[in-house]
Amino acid sequence: MGSRGSHAARIPDADSIRRETGFSQASLLRLYHRFRALDRNKKGYLSRMDLQQIGALAVNPLGDRIIDSFFPDGNLRVDFPGFVRVLAHFRPVDDDDSSMRDPKEPEPLNSRMNKLRFAFQLYDLDRDGKISRHEMLQVLRLMVGVQVTEEQLESIADRTVQEADEDGDGAVSFLEFTKEMLWCPACIFSLGCAGVVCSQHMGVNCTEGFHLCFQ
Amino acid sequence: RMPKLERLDEEDGDRSRRRPSRKQPPRAERVAGRRGAQPSQKERAEGSPRPGSPRRKQAEHQRLREDLGKPGRSSTKRTCEGRRKRDGRASLKEQRQRAPPKKEKEALRKETRKRPKKHRSPSLASSTSGGESLSEEELARILEQLEDKKKLIANMRNKPWPMAKKLRELREAQEFVEKYEGALGKGKGKRLYAYRMLVAKKWVKFKRDFDNFKTQCIPWEMKIKDIESHFGSSVASYFIFLRWMYGVNLVLFGLIFGLVIIPEVLMGVPYGSIPRKTVPRAEEEKAMDFSVLWDFEGYIKYSALFYGYYNNQRTIGWLRYRLPMAYFMVGVSVFGYSLMIVIRSMASNTQGSASEGENANFTFSFKMFTSWDYLIGNSETADNKYASITTSFKESIVDEQESNKEENIHLTRFLRVLANFLIICCLCGSGYLIYFVVKRSQEFSKMQNVSWYERNEVEIVMSLLGMFCPPLFETIATLENYHPRIGLKWQLGRIFALFLGNLYTFLLALMDDVHLKLSNEETIKNITHWTLFNYYNSSGWNESVPRPPLHPADVPRGSCWETAVGIEFMRLTVSDMLVTYITILLGDFLRACFVRFMNYCWCWDLEAGFPSYAEFDISGNVLGLIFNQGMIWMGSFYAPGLVGINVLRLLTSMYFQCWAVMSSNVPHERVFKASRSSNFYMGLLLLVLFLSLLPVAYTIMSLPPSFDCGPFSGKNRMYDVIQETIENDFPTFLGKIFAFLANPGLIIPAILLMFLAIYYLNSVSKSLSRANAQLRKKIQALREVEKSHKSVTGRTTGRDSEDTAQGTSQNATQLPLTKEGMTPHSASQTQTPDKKAEDPGTFGSASGTTLPASQGLSVARPTGFRPDSGHARPQTHPWRSASGKSAQRSPH
Repeated sequence: MGSRGSHAARIPDADSIRRETGFSQASLLRLYHRFRALDRNKKGYLSRMDLQQIGALAVNPLGDRIIDSFFPDGNLRVDFPGFVRVLAHFRPVDDDDSSMRDPKEPEPLNSRMNKLRFAFQLYDLDRDGKISRHEMLQVLRLMVGVQVTEEQLESIADRTVQEADEDGDGAVSFLEFTKEMLWCPACIFSLGCAGVVCSQHMGVNCTEGFHLCFQ
Repeated sequence: RMPKLERLDEEDGDRSRRRPSRKQPPRAERVAGRRGAQPSQKERAEGSPRPGSPRRKQAEHQRLREDLGKPGRSSTKRTCEGRRKRDGRASLKEQRQRAPPKKEKEALRKETRKRPKKHRSPSLASSTSGGESLSEEELARILEQLEDKKKLIANMRNKPWPMAKKLRELREAQEFVEKYEGALGKGKGKRLYAYRMLVAKKWVKFKRDFDNFKTQCIPWEMKIKDIESHFGSSVASYFIFLRWMYGVNLVLFGLIFGLVIIPEVLMGVPYGSIPRKTVPRAEEEKAMDFSVLWDFEGYIKYSALFYGYYNNQRTIGWLRYRLPMAYFMVGVSVFGYSLMIVIRSMASNTQGSASEGENANFTFSFKMFTSWDYLIGNSETADNKYASITTSFKESIVDEQESNKEENIHLTRFLRVLANFLIICCLCGSGYLIYFVVKRSQEFSKMQNVSWYERNEVEIVMSLLGMFCPPLFETIATLENYHPRIGLKWQLGRIFALFLGNLYTFLLALMDDVHLKLSNEETIKNITHWTLFNYYNSSGWNESVPRPPLHPADVPRGSCWETAVGIEFMRLTVSDMLVTYITILLGDFLRACFVRFMNYCWCWDLEAGFPSYAEFDISGNVLGLIFNQGMIWMGSFYAPGLVGINVLRLLTSMYFQCWAVMSSNVPHERVFKASRSSNFYMGLLLLVLFLSLLPVAYTIMSLPPSFDCGPFSGKNRMYDVIQETIENDFPTFLGKIFAFLANPGLIIPAILLMFLAIYYLNSVSKSLSRANAQLRKKIQALREVEKSHKSVTGRTTGRDSEDTAQGTSQNATQLPLTKEGMTPHSASQTQTPDKKAEDPGTFGSASGTTLPASQGLSVARPTGFRPDSGHARPQTHPWRSASGKSAQRSPH
């Protein structure tokens, strides 16, 4: 009966993680199992290789970017709290109106802004806070491959920048990105699916509503 | 594994007194943990309002962490060395631990207050379902909490709170009590509670599965998606149209078969009993030959598939089913249903297209940032998705190029006029050719022994025209240099005109034929009567025994023009289908095979050079489909079996064409997006429906039915059947009402009223759409203004940055901090309140509202955020020039 409780307790730092990310005990436990399943050599952390073995990420053109997001500062390994913290972005937005929340309290990881921020970082390769034309071209090449000529790719990138760019610096900043995405809730939803794959393949069942659901 | 083991031991020590039997295999443990949704006990425990508990909890935490710390901390340190966030987090922990208990309590209170709400989210709701896994300690705690809540509810009146707060607290407390009473085995009972949770979970799962199932039930959805991803939405639009058509035809099929053919087969007089249901003596010996059957003569002609087979008995069978009436009503309701469904789908298409358009601002951005579907997990689907993303980008590129194309207007105009002139010539020529052939065939039909070619000349010529004219038009249309989407519409219109001409020539010829037959009818009628009279009154028969009736096959009979018309339509439909399939097989598949396999041993590159692979001919196929449907509508009154044949045709054509497209066609060179509303197809269909309604209405209203075949034989006009039914089967006052309703004095005002209503609704919708367009323009203008304003300020700050290098550097030192605070990985952002305070506006303002006003976002931005904007400026390429370049350089 109580065996589960004790099992959950084996997760290091469980309480603080839960406080920070808002995961329930059960999901945290499941994530922990997934973490250990991915961790093939039982070394206590995940390396890039460990994440690359996930099938859905391998076929995803942005899979590398998603994996990168687990290794924020050029680290080569991610431990369990870091792993959970990334996945916490995929929890559905809490419906509490923000007036209820203490303004001093930090924004939860699954807030709309943080979700958008996460999606933004998938495109922001060099993490300078803006998506430049060059970065866009790289992503485009990943997405459409060789079937479109280079000039066409360039014109797509130019056009994208032109659409989103408001201050004329030739790049899409986070604010511009946010504004743009708010124009089209449906698009944001599809963007939101970025999370599902992570959570699904990292062991969180998608049925529990873990996605970057902005609506 | 080390920390885990330690933890285990620690747990053991802690709980051994409560649970003596802790020896369980770890495997079972894991399974249990996975399956059972774990209650968030700690969370709950934390939220306990008991004054003593937080501190105790705190202590426990500390102890745990220290235990853990020895082996664990070194690794933590290793991984996160130099990470400020980590430090921040650690410091926060300390802060929290040192925090005065009062503040702690406040926070906890808040958590408690929030919890019932949280439990609505599915993840947590599932976690509470595992009520039996609560440990005793937790149970006790919750019990205590429950008591508190109950006490609170009881004492609510006495609290010095404002009313709103009281109400809120009361509601929350009640919710809490209801939630946990069940879980604790009190109140309604633990079992019931668990059962309810189980049912709720299963229900959610069922709904999800059912949704999946519904998606899977859409026929050919995957096939069409597959085609769409490779060939673009324009080709897919044809297949969607085909599917829609199939659905409509299924309904028509059900109507006709259910209400006309099956009653006749089941309850009508059997075959061979009366003359109209018997093959005449002269045709009998050849009636089963394939060549005869293939022409829908012989036994097929005298079957329930055609008008002539039906008897004019008012009621048939023991059900006293009024077949002539049903026949008439079904004929009318086929048109009624088709009209209704076409118009309804047109209306729904318009609604869909109205809400689109507004995102035109960000086409490329959305494609870029949101096109990948992250749920894709297998590589084949991923390949399809790649193809579809590429296709959609290509579509957008074509659109862009087209909107930026500069052209010589005079030359274009001249070419367009020329092209139209050529095409009108073609149309006239083909019209005349058909007229000529039809005249000739009427002469042939009078002759006795005609060859196969002479008999089928009309069909052959029409099929040939249908095969060769569209490519000719397409070749001419390249002169015009339209955007492919507009080009497609022109092409559709022209081929439509061609087909329409063909159709109407065909109909006129048919009408001539009908009139000829009608004029002969009177003499045949006399002959029939005379024969029968002679037969019964002939001498040389024993007068005492009544003569057996004349064998039905021997009775002379009229030509039954209705069946003849039905047969014509049937033949046309079948030959059309065969020509389509043969064209696909020869023109697409064999060509593709040839190109593919002969390429190894040929002098030039077949794939890139002359024959190459075929493209899918959208316009031809769409129109073929539409006209075929027109045939069905026209013919189904005279040949009820036609719809059945058509259903088969559409079904085979769906599979056959899907296969042909995927196997032997290449995508269009300029893939273009189908216009959002497929209303153009629907408009054509509506036109064809109307046109095919005319001849049928004409024949029903103004031609007398044949005297010896069909359900209306013996009546002056076909619609007399309604009058008859009203007179005989309805009470008299209903008959009077009908007569009253048919009064022109009532009909004309009603029509006038309808016109007025149409006018009013039309003007309303126009004004609304105008307002919509204006609003859209306003938004666009607003954006432009904002954009230009921003770019101006950006430039000035770029200039300023050189002058005030000092100030910028100061800003720059702050910059990383601010950025740090915004990254999601930084634990500092979520943990340290002091850091958060540095940029309080950024998230608070933006996330609070669902659609943040642009000011809210832009205010939070530091002015010196972009010190490098001066450098970035020259990099921007205005789209116009770049796309112009690409338009010139692009290979096609």
